[in-house]
Amino acid sequence: MTDQEPDIGSLETEMNRGFLHILVLALLEKDMYGYSMVKHIETLGYKVEENTLYPLLRRLEKNGWVASKWDMSEDRPRKFYAVTAAGRALRASLLEIWKTQNRILDKIAKENVHVQ
Amino acid sequence: MSNKLEAYLEEISHYLSGRAEREEILSEIRSHILEKAAAEHGGTDDAAVDRAIDAYGPPRRVAERYAEDRPIIAPAYKRYLVRYTSLLFAFHAFLTVVAVVFQKDFVIFPFLFMPRLNVFTALMYLPTAFLADLGVVAVVLYFVTQSGKDVKLPWPKFGVDLDEVKPPKASVWQLVGRIIGAVVMLAITDFALYLFVRYKTIFLYSLHGGDFKPILTPGAGRYVSLIVIAMLAVSTIANLIRIFTRTRWVNVVSNVLSLGLIGLLLGQSFDGLFAMPIAEKALPAIRYSVRFSLLFVAVMIAIELVKDLVRLGHRKLARSGIGGERIPGSDLQNRG
Repeated sequence: MTDQEPDIGSLETEMNRGFLHILVLALLEKDMYGYSMVKHIETLGYKVEENTLYPLLRRLEKNGWVASKWDMSEDRPRKFYAVTAAGRALRASLLEIWKTQNRILDKIAKENVHVQ
Repeated sequence: MSNKLEAYLEEISHYLSGRAEREEILSEIRSHILEKAAAEHGGTDDAAVDRAIDAYGPPRRVAERYAEDRPIIAPAYKRYLVRYTSLLFAFHAFLTVVAVVFQKDFVIFPFLFMPRLNVFTALMYLPTAFLADLGVVAVVLYFVTQSGKDVKLPWPKFGVDLDEVKPPKASVWQLVGRIIGAVVMLAITDFALYLFVRYKTIFLYSLHGGDFKPILTPGAGRYVSLIVIAMLAVSTIANLIRIFTRTRWVNVVSNVLSLGLIGLLLGQSFDGLFAMPIAEKALPAIRYSVRFSLLFVAVMIAIELVKDLVRLGHRKLARSGIGGERIPGSDLQNRG
């Protein structure tokens, strides 16, 4: 081991994959359009790249976890997204996995404290 | 609307080509960029749109994020690419040798057409054949991968599994062996040259301890002797180079040259070849045994050549990771 800061770039990307799914499925409990989601996530202290969000929304929609519709009433057309019943079920399952993983890591952290 | 925005979307569209939802994707991106330009850069004029586009990212990278996270060829099939290509190429090379020796066309419709080849066109043909074989195998493995099914492909074993052959460790004794080999080859080549300078041929015989007499007629003797001396020289030079470097390219080049020279020998007519008296009945047997021996040596050299090319190709593929290559940028998907 060195004292150098480890490069966690690619690992962070891997971890973000699952988290972004849960985050988007949670956010879309109310209808939102892409730009408003990016800005809202920023206010939560997180950042999602715009060109990452839209492909993710597309995949979620393809699987039936998110539904979308264009709103043409404003000056500019906006595409609004909302979570579906299947999306809520998926979110619950993902959250359960995430909690289990957290619990396991907490336990190991406590075990490690005793070891040290 | 900004021309730059249209050009930007057009370029993304180019990379998304063929996707059914292309128009929908472009509409989403257009909407987002105009939204961002208006909200963060004070309007939808060219300057504001340009800034929003810059923040959105290069077109190719944007398009790549829509690509499915599926490899072009599944990593599990990476070894198959090398294995199948080498088998196919060995078959191809064998047919090439046959086409040169027997001067016949081959058609295995619709997979293969091999015209009559002479030695030099055959040498030009072999690299093309290798690339074609590699392409055919890659296309098959691509379709197998894209089918998404768990296809169990046969795994033919070679006598010696090339993947399991470990490169020999360089030792002093090996170096000594190489030096001895090079010296011996040099001596043989020198002796052959000496014979050639003195007798204009290296094929001689002597009955009951008498004078040396040429086995072959003067013209044929000179021609065949020169080819054999050239083969010895190639082998000598390769052995000398191997003292200083272990690169397989030395083997490849020397084997290609040797194959070409053997091809020239095979092309030699046997009519009126011998200067010494030979029974008419024995001629066909001699002709066939010489041709068979040369063909056998050619096949052995061709096998060595294929092995070296496969090893070189394997190393190159491993370095570039082509077998397990994922669609560019697919690992960036969902990056936050």
